[in-house]
Amino acid sequence: MTVHIGRLCRIVARVLVVGATLAIALGTALALWPPGDEPAPPVSGAPARIHDPISRGAYLARAADCIACHSAPGGKPLAGGLPFTLPFGTLYSTNITPDKETGIGSWSDDDFVRAVREGVSPQHTLYPAMPYPSYTALARDDVLAIKAYLFSQQPVRAARTPNALAFPFNQRWVLPLWKLAFFRNRRMVIEEAAGVERNRGAYLANALGHCGECHTPRTVGYGLQDARALSGETAQGWRAGNITPDPWTGIGRWSDAQLTAYLSAGHAPGRSSASGPMAEVIEHSLQYLDADDIHALVVYLRSVTPVQTDPRLMVELKPQGATRSYDLLPARDTDLRTNSGARLFSSDCAGCHAWNGNGRQISYASLTGSSSVNDIYGRNVVQVILHGTRIRVGEAGAVMPGFANRYSDAEVVALTRFVLAHFGDKEGVVSEADVRGQRSDK
Amino acid sequence: MKSVDASTDTLLFEVNGTPTRSTGDLQTPLLWFLRDDLGLTGTKFGCGIAMCGACTVHLDGIAVRACQLPLAGLAGKSVTTIEGVARTRAGQAVQQAWVQLNVAQCGYCQSGQIMTATALLRENQAPTDADIDAAMNGNVCRCATYRRIKAAIHVAARALSEAGTSE
Repeated sequence: MTVHIGRLCRIVARVLVVGATLAIALGTALALWPPGDEPAPPVSGAPARIHDPISRGAYLARAADCIACHSAPGGKPLAGGLPFTLPFGTLYSTNITPDKETGIGSWSDDDFVRAVREGVSPQHTLYPAMPYPSYTALARDDVLAIKAYLFSQQPVRAARTPNALAFPFNQRWVLPLWKLAFFRNRRMVIEEAAGVERNRGAYLANALGHCGECHTPRTVGYGLQDARALSGETAQGWRAGNITPDPWTGIGRWSDAQLTAYLSAGHAPGRSSASGPMAEVIEHSLQYLDADDIHALVVYLRSVTPVQTDPRLMVELKPQGATRSYDLLPARDTDLRTNSGARLFSSDCAGCHAWNGNGRQISYASLTGSSSVNDIYGRNVVQVILHGTRIRVGEAGAVMPGFANRYSDAEVVALTRFVLAHFGDKEGVVSEADVRGQRSDK
Repeated sequence: MKSVDASTDTLLFEVNGTPTRSTGDLQTPLLWFLRDDLGLTGTKFGCGIAMCGACTVHLDGIAVRACQLPLAGLAGKSVTTIEGVARTRAGQAVQQAWVQLNVAQCGYCQSGQIMTATALLRENQAPTDADIDAAMNGNVCRCATYRRIKAAIHVAARALSEAGTSE
């Protein structure tokens, strides 16, 4: 018997060794695979109407939304220091101003291109919080245009904030192994048959806009699940929705006008308003894109493989509660004495959102038709109740205050459940433990 | 009514029935325009984030918070403030009930209370206590005149229904 077990162990060990060797060989082969041709305008590049090289770089930097992550609240733009709270510690974004000592002022063109497209800086391999798995698809010319723009900015002396990560995540030597498993150094593949507009949209969404970094589900190893691309994921407490054209759980039934309004101004009439991190994307990046580029994004999003996700999150456009309510008066069966969520809504929320969810004086405050009030887990509803949200588009803006310091966990649960029931016909499954967890997810 | 005169970049709307124009910053909240430009100081500033109700006015008959309503949202629309609300039957009835029951204490929130109460009576001519709670909960009164507010709304509702049947 012991002999048999010994033999079994040897066989298992051999299989493991062969398997691991094959995996590493395959990974290495894939990693060494040629990265493909450089994408070329008009699929890549800034719009032809912009001639000045620095302005072209500025447009591309906005499309790639460098500033949102590389600036901290109260800090100088592009000087880094924004914390990323992850389950295993905190990462801080770096200074990408042209300061020679604390920024990237001494980097060569090749240094910069390698950092952006391959995640390797002159010092070390970067954590994939820097979205190089997306930026790898960029054209070299575009990366260099962004560099020219960054180098035209004022250098800021701001030493990096050291990351605070737990072992083994603080071991940078692990990162090349992670890359071997999850990263491919590949330029975007142009699909000639799909036409320029769709390809341009794909370049904007995947290479520059790196939508998938939030909207594509991740594997346990933090890799992106390409087969379910853009079908939604949760990060730092916020739910990034399913933006594939699935008619039930994605954006398939949004009109072109709704998609365009959402992408360029952060609010789709009759549908969602951008909040939290997506509001930042609209504010720092998408509002500056040309109408043609927004249209290319719409065309591309309509063309990706539809992925059906949890049907319980299907958006109800005519929810019972809101549809039978007026601006000032809730539906007859809303009982403020027994429903503490409704009571909270009446005092703190109805002033802007209104009982019928039309948003009263602020279009961003409309609730009916929003994907967030149809999410049975109420993730974004809890986030905005706790932390508030703000957006600024052009000269206009809207702010929702957070209530983290005023509401108990039980109150947030009651209010969230009421909002989901009244504006989405959903029975929420949010618990006090969920709310407690989300209190630290800003 | 023409809402925007493109030749002069002027925004046109009505305040208490009077055609009004603004050539200023379209993102200015209506409250500032009412108080500073038109001198209609009956509408009060409370919290500035649409949570206290002191600045409530009507926009095409619907109660809105003027502190969070940019002028850009007014093109071609009609605003009614506390100064003009008595021109409607409901507004008149509410104000009379307020006087009859001496509702106001310090008075700061009362114009907002009256505006919301009037809009409520337009949505529901015979509101119950629960209706009043649901509709008026967003209008805060630091003197806690809530019971008198509730009583006055019932008085106004009765006055309106009696006037309605006698006509």
